Amino acid sequence: MSNAIYAALARQTGLMNEMQLVANNIANSSTTGYKSDRAVFAEFLAGGRNNLTDLSMGSLAGHSFNMEQGGLRMTGGRLDLAVQGEGFFLLETPQGQMLTRAGHFQLNEQGELIDTSGNRVLNAGGGPIAIPEEATNFTIAADGTIAANGAIIEQVGVVVPTGELQRASGTMFTAPDGYAQAETPGVIQGALEQSNVSPVLEVARLIEVQRAYEAGQSLIEREDDRISKFISTLRQL
Amino acid sequence: MKSLQIAATGMAAQQMRVDVISNNIANMSTAAYRPRTAEFADLMYQQYLTPGTISSQVGTIVPAGVQLGTGVKPASVSMEITQGSMRPTGSELDIAIDGTGFLEVTLPSGESAYTRDGKLNRSPEGQIVTKDGFELADGITIPQDARRISISTDGEVVAYFANEAQGQAIGTISLVRFVNEKGLEAMGDNMFRETEASGTPNRLIPATEGVGVIRQGYLEESGVDVVQEISELIEAQRGYELNSKVISAADEMLAATTRLR
Repeated sequence: MSNAIYAALARQTGLMNEMQLVANNIANSSTTGYKSDRAVFAEFLAGGRNNLTDLSMGSLAGHSFNMEQGGLRMTGGRLDLAVQGEGFFLLETPQGQMLTRAGHFQLNEQGELIDTSGNRVLNAGGGPIAIPEEATNFTIAADGTIAANGAIIEQVGVVVPTGELQRASGTMFTAPDGYAQAETPGVIQGALEQSNVSPVLEVARLIEVQRAYEAGQSLIEREDDRISKFISTLRQL
Repeated sequence: MKSLQIAATGMAAQQMRVDVISNNIANMSTAAYRPRTAEFADLMYQQYLTPGTISSQVGTIVPAGVQLGTGVKPASVSMEITQGSMRPTGSELDIAIDGTGFLEVTLPSGESAYTRDGKLNRSPEGQIVTKDGFELADGITIPQDARRISISTDGEVVAYFANEAQGQAIGTISLVRFVNEKGLEAMGDNMFRETEASGTPNRLIPATEGVGVIRQGYLEESGVDVVQEISELIEAQRGYELNSKVISAADEMLAATTRLR
């Protein structure tokens, strides 16, 4: 009898989750290297007594993330790196190797290149990158080569996943099928890739989610009215 | 309803960015001030359906899963390593560091602190001290009858006396370098303290091994680029407004729910 309410309820729950996703995108609109997130809804059938009463419900089934390049912000920082075009930096984290495009790097007390969480940035060979203390005026070329005083010190690894790319968080990715060195990496020193969240799109989705939620709510209200009318009519019979 | 909290983390992050920017702008005339930038990172994700979960008996897997983010957090507020422009002052005890390196200062507690502010003075006893009266760790005392002093690019301090043409070397101002300058802890008054992240101080003679050179008669100006700060300020303000829109939308959704009964 109240199947219509359940269908609407499934939609409402999904919309709440989508709202959370939009909120997370907007909250991360200033996070370096953040890739925005989209919800994918899938339908499933709730079995009725026969084909005629089968009910289709929607639920949040997965995500798609938007890998579009974010804008580049020139910071002038010597250790701020951005990748132009395809490619990721390789990080050594406690959860294994991760890929990222967030290139706000620093040095640790041993002179090794690390990210803001202290994970080591890896070179083309998969080892940590140490910049000697005397190399105060180093440059980082488009292929990731770090050079100081006319000598090559290291090379920052830029990789492309060979298979699927999985998202670990908004800025970190994993490549379960492995990765290969990028053929033509475009590392830019002194720039950071900004979040690719588009405020216009997110606000449009925000309004859409909110209105859809209100529509679902009024459907539930009307269905509630209908049932209570039905019950009171039955009583009068 | 996590959207409210998520948007609140977004607003807090933008608020913090404004705080950092306002501190930079407030210090636009502070000698040798290095601007700070706030960096953000996404918070942990709630795993509803982990990517890679097996979705059937034949071994098909869920490609993307359902992970819902929970907001944003500040990841670092780091100092930008920039060289401020040099302002000539003509004063013989004003020095600017052209390149990397810090002056080492001995605090009254005996601890060491590091600064790039080269506005030096002479104490009543003739020692070279910072504007706060703390002695340079090099411990140089200027003789009372010295007519003038000169500081060379490699830090050598030479005093000249009234009756002698030849100067007399009285000491060397050394520079201290850290592996990771950004890891220094700011103490205020343009001074920094060594931390575990900065590495141990390495004392060098100026103009050697890639460390900076000393310019007498100049002061390093603040490295704040006001135009950049203002454009960041606008961005932060708009970001704040966007997050507040999310809060009002989430609020209206909640209101719609409570209208039901």
